[in-house]
Amino acid sequence: MKVLVVNNMAPFVRGGAEALAEHLIRNLEIAGHQAELLRVPFQWEPATRIPSQMLMARALELQNVDHVIALKFPAYLIQHPRKTLWLVHQYRQAYDLYDAGQTNLPPGQTGADIRQLIRNADDECFRDARRIFAISDVTQQRLARYNGVHADILRAPINDPERFTGGEPQGYIFAGGRINGAKRQCLLVEALADAAKEVRLIVGGPPDTANDARQLEETVERLGLRDRVRLDLRYLERHEYANYINGALAVASLPFDEESFSYVAMEAATAGKALLSTTDSGGVLGLAKDGETGWVAEPTAEALAAAMSAAYVDLARTRALGVSAKNLWESHQINWQATVAALMS
Amino acid sequence: MKIALCSSFVPFVNGGYRNIVEWLETMLLEAGHEVERIYLPEADSPDILFRQMAAFRFVDLDAADRIICFRPQSHLIRHPHKIVWFIHHLRAFYDLWDNPDYRGFPDDARHRGIRTALRAADTAALREARRVFSNSRVVSQRLATYNGIDSEPLFPPVLRPERFRFRGMNDEIVCICRLEHHKRQHLLVEALKYCQSDVRLRLCGLSAGTGYSAAVAQWAHDWGVSDRLTIDERWISEDEKAELLADCLAAAYLPLDEDSYGYPTIEAAHAGKPVLTASDAGGVLEFVTDGTNGLVADPDARSVAQAMDRLFEHREATRQLGEAAAARIGEMNIAWPHVLERLLA
Amino acid sequence: MKFILFSPLATQSAIGRVTSLIAPALTDLGHEITVVRTEQPRLLAEPPHPCTARVIPWTDEAAVRQASGEADALIYQIGNNYDFHCGGLHWLALLPGIVCLHDFVVAHLFAGWADTRQTEAQHALRSWYGESVARDFFAARDHREFVESASRDHPMTEWICSMAQGVISHSHWGMPRVAQSCGGPVRVVPLPYDAPAAREAVAQAGERGVIQVLTVGHANANKRIESVIRAIGASEALRDRVHYRLCGRIEPHYALELARLARSLGVQLTISGEMESIALQRAMNAADVICCLRWPSLEAASATAIEGLLYGKAVVVTDTGFYSELPDDCVRKISMSDEVPELRIALEQLAAGPSSRHAMALRGQQWAATTFTAANYARQIVETSVLVQAARPALAMTNALTAYMEQWGAAPDLIRATDIVAPLELFDLRG
Repeated sequence: MKVLVVNNMAPFVRGGAEALAEHLIRNLEIAGHQAELLRVPFQWEPATRIPSQMLMARALELQNVDHVIALKFPAYLIQHPRKTLWLVHQYRQAYDLYDAGQTNLPPGQTGADIRQLIRNADDECFRDARRIFAISDVTQQRLARYNGVHADILRAPINDPERFTGGEPQGYIFAGGRINGAKRQCLLVEALADAAKEVRLIVGGPPDTANDARQLEETVERLGLRDRVRLDLRYLERHEYANYINGALAVASLPFDEESFSYVAMEAATAGKALLSTTDSGGVLGLAKDGETGWVAEPTAEALAAAMSAAYVDLARTRALGVSAKNLWESHQINWQATVAALMS
Repeated sequence: MKIALCSSFVPFVNGGYRNIVEWLETMLLEAGHEVERIYLPEADSPDILFRQMAAFRFVDLDAADRIICFRPQSHLIRHPHKIVWFIHHLRAFYDLWDNPDYRGFPDDARHRGIRTALRAADTAALREARRVFSNSRVVSQRLATYNGIDSEPLFPPVLRPERFRFRGMNDEIVCICRLEHHKRQHLLVEALKYCQSDVRLRLCGLSAGTGYSAAVAQWAHDWGVSDRLTIDERWISEDEKAELLADCLAAAYLPLDEDSYGYPTIEAAHAGKPVLTASDAGGVLEFVTDGTNGLVADPDARSVAQAMDRLFEHREATRQLGEAAAARIGEMNIAWPHVLERLLA
Repeated sequence: MKFILFSPLATQSAIGRVTSLIAPALTDLGHEITVVRTEQPRLLAEPPHPCTARVIPWTDEAAVRQASGEADALIYQIGNNYDFHCGGLHWLALLPGIVCLHDFVVAHLFAGWADTRQTEAQHALRSWYGESVARDFFAARDHREFVESASRDHPMTEWICSMAQGVISHSHWGMPRVAQSCGGPVRVVPLPYDAPAAREAVAQAGERGVIQVLTVGHANANKRIESVIRAIGASEALRDRVHYRLCGRIEPHYALELARLARSLGVQLTISGEMESIALQRAMNAADVICCLRWPSLEAASATAIEGLLYGKAVVVTDTGFYSELPDDCVRKISMSDEVPELRIALEQLAAGPSSRHAMALRGQQWAATTFTAANYARQIVETSVLVQAARPALAMTNALTAYMEQWGAAPDLIRATDIVAPLELFDLRG
């Protein structure tokens, strides 16, 4: 089939779901389809511009397309008789962020009108869609709560599982992914100060801002941990990142209230590594189960330190936890083949 | 600068029209600019044309410092600094109106009304631009005649022209472009019938899927020229193209009434090979002058055959034509520095 | 091009007369014409103005659909009379076209239509004029009050024009509402009319003879007949010389009322009632002065006034609407601020000065003959049709976008917002 993947685009901003869309296309082709990407430009500031952006998506006509897979608002408003939604997220500022008072919708009648417009357009889109999938628990919950629509969860697979072969642990705990306050790499470093002497930590990934990098470096200095922490703060090439995962004793992922599994946790589980997380990590806890697939600690330096130390005490147990993590992960069947099949059903 | 390149596309039709955008993007990135590509779907059926144009009007690219618009109807997009590099009109509503084969819909009051409205919209949208460039003199003339718009011809270069070079001259005339009726490969094949010399012909390119290539092969068989003909019906990579042009006797490119000279013409010229074309090939004649840097035959098999024989039998002259063709590129300033200088002025 | 003209054709209809003039003019330009008669079913049998084009009754749904499917343009002749135009209204809602608007005030037409469509009517009233008009529209107690309030506050011009792809009307005074409510091309074109039965403008009564004053048309209060009677009655010279004649449909009680008034004031009044065309033409030829007064003025143009001019008669009009746009040296204009005295003076002057009266009539006749031509009207219909065809793509597009927004329950303010309206201005051919 000729499948068009439709996603938003914020001009000059390479954002979330761009990589997802590209991998989806590649995997659609592997499954024997022809696939192309349509990126619909979306400008939501000022919010008064949103209705015209919605109209733009709605007014586009598609010829020569058999099936559409749409990811976000307002791109998913595009018309097609065979349209599947893989909901990455709706326009949250009209829904949960609106309720939390974090919206760019103006106060007063205009904001209320725009909000209502978004909801009505969403409702119509959900009614007309062939199938709706949500990419995470949270997305599914919001959709049910605000629009009364049920969507099956269809999580984004790892793009290159073949890299994460696992391997002999090289004596360090690895914390990967973007470096910023919400991901709490700093907390890990602080925990290291209280942990057993043999515990080592490697933090590898791109810092969101120079400040995020500086904070980490200063923490390491302040606590005198330079010999036990390696900071590799940059965008890692895929094979470099995979090496870090494959050689880890355990992998830490403790973002605050994550929406979904987190790529780091999924990649670690693929490699059969035990997971270290915190009680408030949200979606990560779908993979990180205390005592089963790793450790889930309170989000404090002491609790984390205890967990980190525990990983070194009984290496066989740590390895076994990693195996369980891998089994749990595979039981979810989150791979591209299944994903494409679902999206084309 | 932040530059948005805007164009239209037909899903799942990979025409050469993407090259002008993508090659420009490469050159702009090398020059240190930030580039965003906006491709929106084309829909030129008269009944949905205006809805599609309305969608283009709502595109908000204020984030860009300037936008460059290529294929219709992308010139409808708004921006305070809009540059248009116009490559062709929706010709059915313009110069091909009087040709019922190309028009595809009746010449009645309703369609004349659409024609009036479209021309007015195109004119108004082009007037919004700071500068309008065209890809050929032919197109500039149409812009002047039908829209009253002054435009500067800006000739599209090939990417990395240094890939093309002269190595030698074998017995083959090559034609490297899509195999379709409009490109008139059948005329070359029929010419073989009348060729007196041992000249050979090679047709390379993707088929448009209309059965044309099969028909050509069949005709070759019927005319008894199959032994002097090679048909490579597949995607020809850039490297292969360079190899073929390096060694060939000459190139042939004789589309019917083309908008511009076409990449095949200058690819050959970069390789120091002359182009054999026809007197009704349109924009190709802005590059090729008969007997100076190529050959212009009448659009009939015997005339083409004479030209083919001439190229084969007078190799020294053919070589000189090729050298003049290479020089012509400089004469016309078909070069990326010039293009960037004009677009970014 | 193939045209369909939706119009009444009955001989009683002046608009039907116009259609019978336009059809051959369009044919002369090389176009094909079909006429769809739009009168109430019971009136469809009324003898029509002569028409060489094919005629279909509006009730023959299959025939109308087939003809319109093949047509390039649909032209709707619309006036205020529901009995004559109900068929046009019916089809206008289904098959969009150009409206030739004969009356700017179409409140009666609306009322006839609203009779069986209360909810729709309320909605139309509310959206154009607001809640209080929606409430009060049907509350008018008598005809006069209704007409007055209508022409002032809710002429319903917008209601009909919003349904049109383009509007041709026949004078300027009502055009602001038209332009505001019709998304397509609008223009003013002089109403086509002719007077083949007109004799040469011949000097008739001398300074002392009888002056024939004539008022033609359906007799009602807005034709200011009482004012004419009072004006004549207020002048001894006029009472002596003027015979005032009324030709046209009149209710018996109104006839009685006018007769009583005339008698009481010593005015010579003849009420002829409804007449055959031939008799009417004779009356027009015999007249010296045509009183074509209107207050309030509903019509875009007055066939009677034009006819009076074409017949070479001295025409007296109220200085309002269409009549204000007539050249000052071709008619006598009466202002409403001092109606009866001004009328008296005007009639006295016309009676006392036959040569100046004839000169004015002649000027009026020449001007009318070159202005109100069917050939020009036909050309303008063709031009407007071409413009409408060019305006249709953008109109269809904005309708589609509006429909998307409405389906999303968009508040009207959002639909009209600058971010949506401004980018689309590019498509407005009106420039």
